Amino acid sequence: MAIYVLRKLVFFLGAIFIASVAIFLLIRGAGGNVAAVVLGKGATPEAINALAHSYGLDRPLFVQYFDWVGNMLSGDLGRSFRTNERVADLVTARLSVSIPLALSGLILGLIIAIPVGTYAARNVGTPSGAILALVSQIGVAVPVFWAGILLSLLFGVRLGWLPTGGWTEWSVSPWGAIRSLVLPVLSLGLIMAAVLIRYVRSAVLDVMNQDYLRTARAVGMTRTEALLKVGLRNASLPLVTIVGLQIAELIGGTVIIETVFSLPGLSRMMLANVAAREVIVVQSTVMLIIIFVIGVNLLVDLLYGILDPRVRSTR
Amino acid sequence: MMTLSKSTPSAAPADGPATSGVPISPPARKRRRRLPRNASLIIGLVLTAIFLTVALVSLFYLPSNPNIPVIRNRLLPAGTPGHWLGTDVLGRDIIAQLMVGARTSILVGAGGATLSLLLGTIAGLAAAASGKITDEAISRGADIMLSIPGMVTALVLAATMGSGALTTILALTAFFTPSFTRVIRSAAMGVLNEDFITAAKLYGRGKIFVLARHVLPNIAGVMIVQFTLYFAAGILTEAGLSYLGVGVHRPSISWGLMLNEAQQQVGVSSPLAIWPGLAIVLMVLGLNLLGDGLRDVLDPKLARRAS
Repeated sequence: MAIYVLRKLVFFLGAIFIASVAIFLLIRGAGGNVAAVVLGKGATPEAINALAHSYGLDRPLFVQYFDWVGNMLSGDLGRSFRTNERVADLVTARLSVSIPLALSGLILGLIIAIPVGTYAARNVGTPSGAILALVSQIGVAVPVFWAGILLSLLFGVRLGWLPTGGWTEWSVSPWGAIRSLVLPVLSLGLIMAAVLIRYVRSAVLDVMNQDYLRTARAVGMTRTEALLKVGLRNASLPLVTIVGLQIAELIGGTVIIETVFSLPGLSRMMLANVAAREVIVVQSTVMLIIIFVIGVNLLVDLLYGILDPRVRSTR
Repeated sequence: MMTLSKSTPSAAPADGPATSGVPISPPARKRRRRLPRNASLIIGLVLTAIFLTVALVSLFYLPSNPNIPVIRNRLLPAGTPGHWLGTDVLGRDIIAQLMVGARTSILVGAGGATLSLLLGTIAGLAAAASGKITDEAISRGADIMLSIPGMVTALVLAATMGSGALTTILALTAFFTPSFTRVIRSAAMGVLNEDFITAAKLYGRGKIFVLARHVLPNIAGVMIVQFTLYFAAGILTEAGLSYLGVGVHRPSISWGLMLNEAQQQVGVSSPLAIWPGLAIVLMVLGLNLLGDGLRDVLDPKLARRAS
């Protein structure tokens, strides 16, 4: 187990290192003269040089890279050019929107997908199984933002039950915050569920064909008992992996849903800073997201190693 | 699904009835039919053909210029003669915009899928046929790229290169290539273990010859299926990026862009927010069904394994 953990840790650190170099080179290398872009067309060369100097942008690239990494390691993510706000503050202020949204979306997706996927697997070849397969096939084709638009059309405009967009701070009114999250979470969760159902269905189908399930039936369990007591535990292994794989998908969906419902989350902040060419903000925020995704995948791998001893020796 | 995201259709399980393994119960096996499989191929082909035709026609004929505002025609309802699906807030015909949108979707989706198919095949074959070190380097590299959310790649590219169709194609390529590499690698490895490969090698055939002559034709089915599924994922992703304003913009038209404009200018209550979304769903559904159907025809082994 120790070797397995060590290998995964080495991969984790290596991945973060390579990703950081790639992000840095892409943003700094292809971005042109950052200070000139930030100050706009009317800026004098002196002003551009002064800004570049005050942010250390006139130093060699590799010095800037190590400076950036060193600062990140000590918790300093840099500052915005225009507003001089700390990136760390910008990010943490937005997490109270993005984290509840993404997490609830994923949980809702799983709550729908696990029973429906299991049901679909048990009813393969029957009309109800075929209908479920078709529905999830259509769900996979629906863009998350269109789902959001349709839901706000129904619940926001027609029925008037929920706000079609905007945000109420948790500190102002927790109930208001929850209300503004309902439709975004619903859109995200439904679309996540459509994707997850297909995975759950195939994981359960896999398990249903295994010998141990036949053994469970042979010792007197009913089909449902066997599936719940023996099957579900085994099907949970691939599920853990799928959740890890879906994290990247979840982040993509969250970015779009925040725009659909005008929520002041992390991705809206990112989009605004992309438009304003705030390279330091974009660079540090992107790096944080990548560390998070790679970290979740590390956890998934470790969890997998704990749940299934076979994985430790073969990988 | 919206897939702005690292959609990995390759990892998605095949749909349809289980065809192998221990029967769940005898009656269930009798009920299994082959029909839905063929149906998905036919429906997929028809839907895809319709959109391809529309995109082709849009090159020669458009009912009106989709970019020139005609203020006296603004917000005409659907069913107006000459503008059967109505017009937008600037009086531009919806049908004309949808037709150009089909062109953009197909161009960007197919462009991203083709480039990543090319790069992924080269990398995948190299990984499968070379020594352990090359294989390990390529495979770990693909793992790392896969852990970067596609959305983030697209945003970074848009921030540095500016947005547009080309940037979108590059962003799609960046996040489809690693999954393609994995799929091609594992498919090629399966073929490389076959006896006829050993025979070819004993006969004195070089590595490149074996790959081109024996491996490629045998993984062509997998490649076609994957291409179709990534084509669909690319269309969804492009729509999402254009909706966010970091994808295609005017004078190019995209379905995602149309939805963005509809929501910002008229609000969601407008039927303008319906048509482009419907077009996306039908086109993506068609390609996914086509991919699933093709999988059964071209790659029965894969379909059986997945179920």
